[in-house]
Formats: sequence, C-alpha cells, structure tokens
Amino acid sequence: MARVSRLPVLAAIIVAMLGASADAQAIASSAGPQSVSVTVYRDPNRTAERAMNLGWLNGYALVSEVRTIDIPAGEADIRFEGVAGGIIPESAIVTGLPDGVVEKNQDAYLLSPASLLDRSLGKRVHLRRTSRATGAVTEQDAIIRTGADGAVVLQTEAGFEALRCSGLPETIVYDQVPPDLSAKPTLSVRTRSRAATRATVTLSYLATGFDWQANYVATLNPAGDHVDLFAWVTLANGDETGFANANTQTVAGKPNRESDPPRLGRGGGELSLQCWPQGTTSDIEADTTTPVEMMPPAPAPMAEAMDIVVTSARSKAVGGMQAVQEELGDLKLYRIPEPVTVAANAQKQVALLEKSGVAVQTFYRATISPWMGDEPFRATRILKTRNRTQEGLGLPLPAGGVVLFAANRGRPLLIGEGSVGDKAIGEDVEIEIGDAPGLFVRATRTDVVGDVANYRLVVTNDQPRPVRFDAEFNGIDTASIGDGKGVRLGRRNGRPLWSVIVPANGSATLAYRIKNDN
Amino acid sequence: MRHLLLASALLASPALAQTSQGDVAVTIYNDNLALVQDTRQLAIGAQRSRIEFPDVSGQIRPETVTLSGEGLGIVEQNFDFDLLSPQKLMEKAVGQQVTLVRTNPANGAETRERATVLAVNGGVVLRIGDRIEVLRDDSLPVRVIFDKVPENLRARPTLSVTVESERSGTRPVRLSYLTPGLGWKADYVTLFDEKAGRIDVQGWITLTNTTGTTFSNADTLLVAGQVQQQNQGYSRGYRPPRPNNIRKPGIESADRERLGDFYLYPLKERTTIANQQTKQVSFLDVVGAPGRKAYEYDNAWLGTMDEAQSANTVLKFSTSKDQGLGDALPAGIVRVYMRDARGNAQFIGENSIGHTPMGSELGLKTGEAFDVKVQPVVEKRERLSPSKWRTSMRYTLTNARPEAVTVDLVQSGLDFYWDDTRIVSESMKSERRSSDETQWHVPVPANGSATVTAVFETRF
Repeated sequence: MARVSRLPVLAAIIVAMLGASADAQAIASSAGPQSVSVTVYRDPNRTAERAMNLGWLNGYALVSEVRTIDIPAGEADIRFEGVAGGIIPESAIVTGLPDGVVEKNQDAYLLSPASLLDRSLGKRVHLRRTSRATGAVTEQDAIIRTGADGAVVLQTEAGFEALRCSGLPETIVYDQVPPDLSAKPTLSVRTRSRAATRATVTLSYLATGFDWQANYVATLNPAGDHVDLFAWVTLANGDETGFANANTQTVAGKPNRESDPPRLGRGGGELSLQCWPQGTTSDIEADTTTPVEMMPPAPAPMAEAMDIVVTSARSKAVGGMQAVQEELGDLKLYRIPEPVTVAANAQKQVALLEKSGVAVQTFYRATISPWMGDEPFRATRILKTRNRTQEGLGLPLPAGGVVLFAANRGRPLLIGEGSVGDKAIGEDVEIEIGDAPGLFVRATRTDVVGDVANYRLVVTNDQPRPVRFDAEFNGIDTASIGDGKGVRLGRRNGRPLWSVIVPANGSATLAYRIKNDN
Repeated sequence: MRHLLLASALLASPALAQTSQGDVAVTIYNDNLALVQDTRQLAIGAQRSRIEFPDVSGQIRPETVTLSGEGLGIVEQNFDFDLLSPQKLMEKAVGQQVTLVRTNPANGAETRERATVLAVNGGVVLRIGDRIEVLRDDSLPVRVIFDKVPENLRARPTLSVTVESERSGTRPVRLSYLTPGLGWKADYVTLFDEKAGRIDVQGWITLTNTTGTTFSNADTLLVAGQVQQQNQGYSRGYRPPRPNNIRKPGIESADRERLGDFYLYPLKERTTIANQQTKQVSFLDVVGAPGRKAYEYDNAWLGTMDEAQSANTVLKFSTSKDQGLGDALPAGIVRVYMRDARGNAQFIGENSIGHTPMGSELGLKTGEAFDVKVQPVVEKRERLSPSKWRTSMRYTLTNARPEAVTVDLVQSGLDFYWDDTRIVSESMKSERRSSDETQWHVPVPANGSATVTAVFETRF
C-alpha cells in the first residue's frame, strides 16, 4: 500500500501531537467493576394491570460499582468505562478517592463513524481510493472542510471534492482516535492526588431502562376455597450493559421520580453520506409520473433478542433461592441472596415467595349504574382474600400479574389472569380474573311513574353449583333503592351493595327504583 | 499558489483538538442561557478588514454580539449559516467550470476534462466541450473537483465582523454574546438516617453544554435565579413547572457572593466545558443536619377511592443557619438515599426544589409509603335543598408498620373555587388551613388502623 502523495509536513505534525499529548493530564482508565450491586425500581407510571414491555422499559436502577484504580500523582482524569448506557449522569456519586473530586464529567459522544468525522473537521485525514480495475490503492491527504450530517466536502491538492459522490471506492482514513471518544458509555472524574496510590472507589448512579414486577401463580384447589401461591421477582434490564455477578435487589413501593432533563445525544453513530442530486436520464419517469412507492410498514418494535433467564427452578426442592424482604424506609427491598448476572437485554426471575393453602373466596361482581343499557353482560370473577396470617399470607405483596390455575385431574387448567397492586399486611386483596363465562347480569327498566323509574335486575347462573354475586350500585342514591319487600342492602365503599347467592342453574332477581332528583 | 495555501493550512491544523478561542469567561444562568466573553489576540490590519470568529457557540444569538478592542470601529457584522455540503457546492457551481476525472473501469486509467455546470435540478447537467451530459448517467465513476468553495458557505455557522482600525497590529479583542444551550442546575445527594433524624447533604452544580461548541479553559460563573428573557423563536422545549416544595420561605442571607437579587457561584478553577457534556462540580457539603419524616395524604375532592391509597412519605428539613443546612439552595433535584440492612445506600426517591432562600422550611415528597394507607369513602350524600348538599365522609387509615405513625390527612377541594363549605361535624378536630382545605393530624397505632369521619355541607 503506497501512500502516494503524503506531504513531508507529516513528521512535523506527529512531533507536535506527541508534544501536546504529553502536556495533557494523566488518564487512568477502569475498564469495569470488580463488584457491582444493582437495585431495580419499577416504572412509576406503570400500573399493576400493565405488564412490562421488554422493548420499552421505563423503570430504573441504582447501580453501585466498586473498582480498584491506580491513581497517579497530580491531576488525573479517571475514566469509568462500561457504565450503563442509560446513566443519569447528574445522579453519579463517587466515593473513595483519596483527595476528593474536582469535577465529574460525562461526554455523550461515543466513538462512531459520525463522531470521528465530526471531530475531524478542519483536520488532515487521508483519502484512500482503490481502483476496481487494477486493485491499486492510492492515498492522498485531504482536509475535511465540512461534515455536518454526513455532507462531506474535502479539500485535496486538486481542489474541493465531495466524499463518495464519484462512484469510486473511496474512504477516509484517520490517523488517530480523538482522545475523548470512547467505545462505551464512560463517566470521568477529575481528581488531584498528592501521591500515586491505589484506591478502591465506589461509583453509584441511577440508570434508566430497567423494570421489575412480581408474577404470582395461584393454583385453586378443587373446592375453590384455597390456593397454592407461588411468586417470582421478574426483573428486566433493557440496557446495553450487563452486570455480571451483581448483588441484586428490587424495591417495591413508589419512590417519587422527577422527569429527567432531555438526554444529551450520543453524537449520532451511523453516518449516511449526502451528495448532490444524483438523478440520471433513466430516473426521469420515476421522478415525474410514478407515485412514490410506499414503504412497507416498519416491523413492530421488538425487544431485540431478549434473553429470558429463570434462575431458580420452580420446584419445592430444598436449596432453591428465594428473594429476602427487608425494610427500606417506607419501601420494601427484596434482596436476591446470591450474586447473579443481570445481563444486557435480559429478563431474570427469582422466587419471591411460596405459600400453600391460602384461604380465598371466589365470587362475582357487577357494577350497576343508571346510565347503562339493558343488554345482558357478564359479571366479573373475583378472587378475594385478606393479607393476614389467618388466611395463610401476612407479608407485603408487591404489585404484579396473577395467573390463576385450577387443579383438574392432575392437569392444571388456566382460569384467567389478573393483577394486584402493592398490598400491605392486613389489607383486603381482590383480584379480578376476567369475565365469568356463564354468569349474566341484566338490568331492565320495567316502567316509569312520574320521576321514579322501576328496574329489575336479573342474574343467571349456568353452573351446577350456587355462586355468590355482588351488585354494586354506582351513582344511584341509597335512599331510592329497595324493592319494598324488605331486602337488606349492604354497603361497600359507601355504595349500596346487593349480595346474593345465585342458586345452581338458576337466577336471582332484585327490583329497584331510581328517583330522578333533578 | 493553491498548493502553497494548502500546505500552510495543513501546518496550521494539527490533528489535535485546538480552538480559536482566547481567554474565555462564561456566565451561565439557570434557564438555558449563558453570556460568553471571549478575548482573542488578533492581528488586525490598518483600515477596513474582515475578522472571522470561528469556535463561537453554534447557537450564538448574533444580535447580542458586542466586539471591543483598542482603536476598532465596527462597520458591519454578519452571521452566515449557509452550510457547506456537496449539494450546496454543486448548486453554487452552476454556470462555472469544474474538473471531471473519469476512471476507466477496465484499466483504472484516469482522464481529466473541464466541464461547465448548467443546472442542478434533481440531477446534474453538464456541458463538456460541445456536448451536453448528465453527470454519471452511465453510473461509471466520475470525480468532480471544484476549484474553490463559495465564500459564504461554511462548515459551521460563522460570525464575521468588518472593522475599521486606526492602526495595524496584534491586540486583544473582546467578543461577548448570549447563547442558549448552556445551562445549569443543582443536584443534591441526601443520605437520610431516619433513626437519628439526620441528613447529610452534598450539593453539586450540574452544567450541560449543547451549544455544539466546546468552551476551553473557561473562567465559569453560575448565576442562581431566572433572568427575564424574550421569546427567541427557538424552542426551549416545554417542561412542566416544577414545584418548589417550600413550606415556609426563609428570610436569612447566605454567606455567598451576590449580585442584586441573584446568588453567584463562581467555579474555583477554570474548566473546559465540552460539547454534549454533563459536568458536575461540588458546592455544598453538610453533615448531620436535622431531618425528619412525615406522612401526608390529600384527598382532592369529596370523593371515594375504591382501594386504599398510599400516604406520601415526606422528608422535612430546614435551610436555616441554626436548624438546617445553613445555605441558600439553587434550584435542582434532591435525591434521597437510605442505608439498607447491609449498610449500602439505596435510593428512596427524589423531588425538586426551587431557588430556596436560607432559613426556609422544605417538605419533599420522596415517595408513597407501602405500609401506610388511607381510603376516603363517601358514606352518604343527601340533598337538603336545591342548593344545599350534605356529604358524610369516612377516612380509614391503616398502618402495617411496627411503630405508631401520624398522618397529616388533608381534605381539599372544599370551596369549589367559589362557594365555601361548612364542616357540620367531625370525629376529631381539624385545622382549617384555608377555605379550600382542612387538615387532621391522625395518630395511627402500630399495626393498626384509625378512622376519621366528617360531615360537610356544600352548595353542590
């Protein structure tokens, strides 16, 4: 490879460069942590009903890394490489530097084709061309005169040229990587040390792109009055950085989060070169008469190749790993007892709890309001318990999804899925598990007398056993409900409640009136 | 001649980061605004000459530029933002001659010829001798070499000033201008020791630079406070106003440099503020100030919640000299940490503060408590007359913690922005904080519950 027209000034430039870089302050790099701790927090705006979307994780994590760094005497830049890409730089805390921190910096630019070009503006590079016919390589010096958004104009000895508009195989060759561009997201700290020393430094920061939730698996016994409950901690890392052998925790409860300031750009990455209009004679028809060809729809955003790892096999085997709950102020912390690897773009599950024989009730509920139509609709199936030791629970339950199975001749049958919010000890727990297939509710207006409308509420049950049904009246004044036959209504959350046992393959009826107050 | 120029240009631009900036001083305001003063040593000839200022902020507001130097008068000032690109280069070459270099695909031999650019509309039409051709119509490689770059096409937006000088010679010239794209805020790291009732607070100034330009070795001064700015046409991006969380504004003066109403935070050393960089410098370090936790719940209207709602966990502390942090706090975000069972600091929530005078009482909601909940329920709503309603509220407070807590329970939405509401009866005495709000301090026993009931009379 002959460098054809290298100018003789090159040697002088290299000398100048070396001289200059000796002046720059020392750089101590740390490629990765020795030990790391990751605490995953939930997306504060995701309700329990919404499952995590692995392609769009809006929770966050507190990452604490311990690194051993050789610190030179005097002023030095200490570069922490391999931090999470979603780092919130202003949240970074560095402790353990012997003489403190002068300043902390995070540069959003990563080394990429676009940032290389951008940093080389006005600088000398080499333009390399390879002949397709002979394979001969020619290289000449050039100065990048502009490179904004990939519109590259170069100055060569011959004059001004645009990069890759000629149809020739040509590329820019750079002498060196600008010193402040790094391959991975990097946080740097400027320190001033009295003496060269080896220090154990802890770096903590918040990073976006994580989330977790609980996942409950409940198996209903044949009698329908108890469930065996098993739960996972399901945590996901959507970041490009993985954490090997990390002490891993998750936090339930709702820490307040402020909106983050807009992230600084990463300095692009991809470089798409722009040229002058390249239309040719053969393009003319396409340009004027043919409508623009429609782009095929973009594929749905997918979580890119997420790994899904289940750490502890779901079994009652002794020695399985289970997260341990601790108090953290008004939050609940779940510690995974052994270090685990929280890989990049991966979901991990660890057992959270296992409780057998939790007492539950199954019943059906419908909300009746004056403004609904008279179409029959399905009642909602509800699994209810109370978070107490008497019921077989009595421990904080973090929010998550619930899958309900029924034991059926040795083969579990999926009944439905629901969700539960954060439930403290002692709270009622009600989980809506979809609509009942055969329990229909119909409210029909029978007649109107003056400002009073008479209604009839009928519930039908297609099951060969009696079921409990609750009708909750919303927006209907208590004073105006009653069938005149002395049916006693209960109350729930301040609203009238009609609770009734619907007989097997039968129906139940309530007559009620709504008085128009206005 | 051109060769000579190129060689000298190469000499002048070694591959290391270099800047044309001189002695730079930046004054950064909170609201995405900075004043840059850049004193450069420039050789200026006698009489009229044009000076270009590369490496000014890419977002410079040219109308705010002032230039001062000994014996200089300004003739005119231009800000060129017509950016150089292959397309612009070709468009500006219409009617002019360029050199074409054709490469023979079979043997790589190059042939050169001169061509005139006739038009650049969708494609490039050329006249070569007496032929008319479309550039690269046959897809064969053709290099186009331009003799020069039109003068007003720039790699980056460039400020140029034409000056009238009494004498020739090198002298310091001071350029100053306003630019968006530089801003700062404060970030506070707070470690809360709940048992001891103490907080350790470290304050960091966080600078961000999105101007497109690096400011090298700059003497940096930060101004806390918002200065009035005219709408500049550029979008600053909507950000919802943040609460300042001040419960009681302070009236003490902090021991900091001030200019008028503003507090000034000069950085101790010169620093380089790189483009697209977030930079943090420490400015506050307080150990062991008093801090305590409180629970608050606000029911915004006389309504029912179907499920019990978590009470807010609120961290209360003061910025006073005697009882608190002893400093004025510039606006920013306070992140609160607590030690877990193993002694590691864990994040428990964050909130924002406004510019906070010294001596203020702050109350920051750090999160919602897992174990302390409130369920408000409308027990009964009766119509007494066409303009008189009676609403019976019941609030159930539960505490799953092993210690007793007190919840500040607020019922707001009482005056409906119009008509005041009367409290007919209540199970414990409330403190009417305004026509809109009333507040109970409700003790809730350990692992227990408490109930408050109240009857309100409203117009609607």
